[in-house]
Amino acid sequence: MSKKFLMKGLLFALILTVILAALSPVFVYKTQHRGKLEEGLYLSDDRYDVVFMGSSHMNGGMDPNVIWNQQGIASFNYATGGQPIDATYYLLKDVLKKHKNPVVVLDVYYLGMTDEYGARGFVSNALDNMRFSPTKLEAIWNCTPWEDRLLYLLPVLKYHFRWSSLQAKDFNFDNASVYYTKGFVAGTDRYGKENSAWKQTENRVGIPEKSLEYLQKIIDLSKEENCQLIFVNMPCDYSEPDNQEGWVDDTEALFNTVADLADSEQIPFLDFYDMADEIGFDFSNDMNNAGHLNLWGAYKVSSYFGNYLAENYDLPDHRSDGAYAQWNEDYKRSQAASVS
Amino acid sequence: MSFDSFGFFLFFPVVAIAYFMIAHRYRWIWLLTASYFFYMCFNPWYAVFLGATTLTTYAAGLLIGKADESRDARTKKMWVVLCLIVNLGILLVFKYLNLFSELYAQTASLFGFAVPAVRFDLLLPVGISFYTFQAVSYLIDVYRGDTKPERHLGKYALFVSFFLQIVSGPIGKSKDMLREFDEVHTFDDTRAKKGLLLMLWGYFQKMVVADRLGLLVDTVYGSPQKYRGPASLLATVFYAFQIYCDFSGYSDIAIGAGQVLGFRLPTNFNRPYFSRSVKEFWRRWHISLSSWFRDYLYIPLGGNRCSAFRHCLNILIVFAVCGFWHGASVTFFVWGLLHGVYQVIGLLTGGFRSRVRARLGIRTGSAPFRVLQAAATFLLVAFAWIFFRAGTLADASTVIGGLFRFDPSALRDGSLFRLGLDPAEMAVGVLGILAVLAVDLLGRKKNLIRSVLNFRTPARWLFYITAVMVLVIFGIYGSQYNAQQFIYSQF
Repeated sequence: MSKKFLMKGLLFALILTVILAALSPVFVYKTQHRGKLEEGLYLSDDRYDVVFMGSSHMNGGMDPNVIWNQQGIASFNYATGGQPIDATYYLLKDVLKKHKNPVVVLDVYYLGMTDEYGARGFVSNALDNMRFSPTKLEAIWNCTPWEDRLLYLLPVLKYHFRWSSLQAKDFNFDNASVYYTKGFVAGTDRYGKENSAWKQTENRVGIPEKSLEYLQKIIDLSKEENCQLIFVNMPCDYSEPDNQEGWVDDTEALFNTVADLADSEQIPFLDFYDMADEIGFDFSNDMNNAGHLNLWGAYKVSSYFGNYLAENYDLPDHRSDGAYAQWNEDYKRSQAASVS
Repeated sequence: MSFDSFGFFLFFPVVAIAYFMIAHRYRWIWLLTASYFFYMCFNPWYAVFLGATTLTTYAAGLLIGKADESRDARTKKMWVVLCLIVNLGILLVFKYLNLFSELYAQTASLFGFAVPAVRFDLLLPVGISFYTFQAVSYLIDVYRGDTKPERHLGKYALFVSFFLQIVSGPIGKSKDMLREFDEVHTFDDTRAKKGLLLMLWGYFQKMVVADRLGLLVDTVYGSPQKYRGPASLLATVFYAFQIYCDFSGYSDIAIGAGQVLGFRLPTNFNRPYFSRSVKEFWRRWHISLSSWFRDYLYIPLGGNRCSAFRHCLNILIVFAVCGFWHGASVTFFVWGLLHGVYQVIGLLTGGFRSRVRARLGIRTGSAPFRVLQAAATFLLVAFAWIFFRAGTLADASTVIGGLFRFDPSALRDGSLFRLGLDPAEMAVGVLGILAVLAVDLLGRKKNLIRSVLNFRTPARWLFYITAVMVLVIFGIYGSQYNAQQFIYSQF
């Protein structure tokens, strides 16, 4: 095969890649996840003293606006639906490029996943909204099966079917429009049922291999970056995950193992369901569904956790800081749209 | 590994680049390894069947050659018959056993015996009908003395398993293909560009047109009782183009990839929907299979050099077998037979039609008459495809019934756009059909690929990039769509 032909072929592939890369942001879904990650990771100039990382449990469980209003602590919720722990690690790496030494609050729920890779839609929530960088390449390589990697590298290949439903916002999405939530979104339903699955146990089950590997990476990264790490677990009815394929069979026993590990690493671990009385949490009324807090539940948990942060960590109160003047407005807007 | 998988987009460039880097005398080893790898990606066990067919036909070829040298006609015949029994036997057992079991049970029930149909859970290797026919054609060619027995087992194994042909053809002739494996192929820029452009056109037909039309066709054929009138008509017309674009697309990808490597695979389609009779349609549709049936079944049966009755019978036999070749179902048999009946009627009414035309003063060469003939042929062929696509005869009759239950409200209430294709998707599907017809039409007088290569460099590159972008954006692939496997890979 002639060298000239090969070089032309490579040039063609390069031009094509550039075009596809340029088109990809148009085709990616313009969701709250996109807006908040773009703002929180790259666009906003705000500095956060606390960052919340993890899955939908964290996304709908910890409201930075409530913590801001009550304690003046600047925080941001980077959690996205179904985010596996490996994706969390790479998001945290991107977070720490901009925010130095924040308290990192990690939702440990997804440690229970036994599959090697998370569901494509969920992993996409996180990876598609990260900007191109060596970290993103590493994330794609390690968080997705080989046959999917090109789809994450050039998301237009994944979302090309949207060509007939593209809207104006796909071309000029205003990421800032969702920034006032600081990454938090919770439902307004009331579950109306008690927790059917929870039972006290002293059992232990091993943390799935890949989860443990990435949990250790997060611990190591936090040490390297001089960040304090806190593990949290939101209230949840485990009957669904316990019977689900790709998940450990006894989630409560898993969190006993996580508690042991946290103990040995001297990392605080707050399992909020165990603190229901202290928080004043009522499963039936404060859950949106079996697995997620509703707005009222999130308010209680966020208030409790804000107090915990204020009492145990030396975090500045920015409420009188002019650089955060907009945060008071954001709080009002978020509450007007929610608990009022 | 399908031609439209990401795996193939990596596999083919690697095979092609390495092919031209390897010395000619070792290239067959590379292609044979690549071919078995390609085939075993579907299921590693398939290699056992492929190996069995390869070894038996290879050995039989040598034995026939030996018997021929010693002028032992009886032994020669014995080996060919034995080998045909073994190979067609494998095909019959693995592809048709369940059908025979069902037919046996149904026949028994007609006579009042309740015999349950036994279902065998047998592995059916992809492309078994294609490579078996290719191997059998070699065997018969050797028997007839049309080709010499191949002594090189590796090259013969490559002839049977060549990755560009094994899944859905084109079914190659041994005398052409075996010689091609001995040819020294040097890399040729222009030939490679032509091949890549043909592949691109193949992908367009498959990914943009066939699979898009398939979304609507699947909806209607999935619950045929729910649809009638325009929906049934649209599904019928769309399926005619779906299967054409699917198979012609596959063939173009195979032929184009062969061109890149330096191989000349046989043409498989020649503008079939411009045929003016069903007979002509079969000279233009799946040409490599039609030629196979002509050379190895129709002519041995006596062809047309016999009585009119026998000629008609030969046509019916060939098309009934052709129907069964496509699938182990009565619907395929009816499809094949229907094509046979079309041709017998055409044959028997030929004189009468000529007289009518003469009396009415119709000029057969006139454009309107030719268009009318092509349209009539298309309608007959599209009608027959209903049996090909339907899962059962009952489903086929439901779709046919739906064609005659006109429901004008469907043209106004938007229900046609709820069959799997919204207005924008439908527009792309229809434009795709028009593009395929336009290329077929223009291609009669002009070599379109050469025309593209004659563009000035910027225009040519713009064309390449636009073409790939059309595939990327409008192609049916990925998890949101049910990208369909190539229809003919099932046969």
